[in-house]
Amino acid sequence: MELLHALVIDPIGAIADNPEFLLEVVIGGLLTGVMYSLVALGFVLIYKASGIFNFAQGVMVLFAALCFVGQLQLGMPLVMALLSTVAIMIALAFVIERVVLRPLVNQEPIILFMATIGITFFLTGLGQLVWGGDVKTLDIGLPKDPLIIGGVLVNEFDLTAAAVAGLLVAGLALFFQKTSIGRALRAVADDHQAALSVGIPLKTIWVIVWSVAGIVGLVAGIMWGTNLGVQFSLALVALKALPVLILGGFTSIPGAIVGGLIVGAGEKVAEVFWGPAFGGAIEDWFAYVLALVFLLFRPQGLFGERIIERV
Amino acid sequence: MQNGKTLGEPLLEAREISLSFGGVKALRGVSLAIRRHEILAIIGPNGAGKTSMLNVVNGFYHPQQGTITFKGETRRAMRPHQAAAQGIARTFQNVALFKGMTTLDNIMTGRLLRMKRGLLWQALYWGPAEREELAHREAVEKIIDFLEIQAIRKIPVGRLPYGLQKRVELGRALAMEPELLLLDEPMAGMNVEEKEDMCRFILDVNDEFGTTIALIEHDMGVVMDISDRVAVLDYGRKIADGPPDAVRADQAVIDAYLGVSHG
Repeated sequence: MELLHALVIDPIGAIADNPEFLLEVVIGGLLTGVMYSLVALGFVLIYKASGIFNFAQGVMVLFAALCFVGQLQLGMPLVMALLSTVAIMIALAFVIERVVLRPLVNQEPIILFMATIGITFFLTGLGQLVWGGDVKTLDIGLPKDPLIIGGVLVNEFDLTAAAVAGLLVAGLALFFQKTSIGRALRAVADDHQAALSVGIPLKTIWVIVWSVAGIVGLVAGIMWGTNLGVQFSLALVALKALPVLILGGFTSIPGAIVGGLIVGAGEKVAEVFWGPAFGGAIEDWFAYVLALVFLLFRPQGLFGERIIERV
Repeated sequence: MQNGKTLGEPLLEAREISLSFGGVKALRGVSLAIRRHEILAIIGPNGAGKTSMLNVVNGFYHPQQGTITFKGETRRAMRPHQAAAQGIARTFQNVALFKGMTTLDNIMTGRLLRMKRGLLWQALYWGPAEREELAHREAVEKIIDFLEIQAIRKIPVGRLPYGLQKRVELGRALAMEPELLLLDEPMAGMNVEEKEDMCRFILDVNDEFGTTIALIEHDMGVVMDISDRVAVLDYGRKIADGPPDAVRADQAVIDAYLGVSHG
């Protein structure tokens, strides 16, 4: 009875007392969700084009952020550091294609997945070796002041992150749906052999996709790095991308966004209103429970391609 | 040469091709010429090496021995996307379409190699790249009309019945405007009506566009009807090669299909 009280009556009471506070929590959550979406995007890109679940995406976020902040600390101008990091991520895509993907063509997905775990360890070590293991603060002058809009408190930085993510997604969606190179990417994702037979060079496609994923990783890394500092725990943010992907579907770019928003808002609301009933800190696991529920009722995610099985 | 057309010089010549997977010899010294403008049928019992031969021609398999001469250029092996760039298109035994994409998008992928603007241009989809896309769209619409699949233009191909999927796959190959078209069992699993349609399309393609066609088929009626020449493989060897009537009467072919008693 006490639990029921804590689960239903208290939260409803709290919401009724102060609806503006609920709005504030939801908006705060949505804006955090955008940051999850940024990380999830990188996963979706690679999964779409190669059917590989890239375990290394989280580390790519960290690695990109490390390279960026490291070069800034060496005194490089902002734009130079940005361009040079983009170049590094593209070079990384070339190396991964040559050393990891090409020898493993036509292998089982699980083998490629294992290979990406290998990439994870390699990049973690390389990042630490080159840039050191200390926490680096990243400040590229993004606005961070709190704002009051219509009586609701929001953070300027969160708004910037949302705008950046929005632009990125719009660009990627156009790229995938409207251009012939996007069509080629989808073709490769669907059937390697058939793609080869119409003359799509797999190597080029893979390099493009991993480069784009690397650059998306850099954007995510800059955002998260500004928020939390550039440190090795940044790679763990990627774990939060998993429930986002399960909600949104592994193959859908809009799905990654909506999934991120749901997870972000959901966990904040749950923490604030239901947290006390569980003794707090449910923010950490709420997303995974939500993902579990989705797996039971809609395994392909909200926007994932329906699984058509002909027997 | 049933329909009285004159066959040209060889477009593709495979010489002494040998291919093995570990201990299994899929092809043993097969020489095969495909002449310009002909319809060549490759037949043979299951496991004779027919599909392996097609895979060698378009570069999926790289033979251990032998050479391939295509349009006067001789090489040991091709890479699939190079073969495609040089004018070899194909379809697959078990339909290999991009299942999540629509009929239109599937056929559009066949135009990728014909797009002149570089990847970056296409990524921008702006100005010249957009105009080029529209021009290719027109070419694809012609193929859709030709194959009579207007009604399924916007449907994801994964939802189409098998016979139509095979037709879309042919459309994708045609969109490449190939000089040499390889069809791996284009009529497998089709009913009589669908087979008749497919035969008509194959003959029309050969007739109207002058496309050279090499096809694998099990339906002997179809093979005898539409092909100018028939090559027979058995246990990785070529045992006969000639006009349909001559091949039908060939003792080695009859033995391969009916079995022979070693008395």
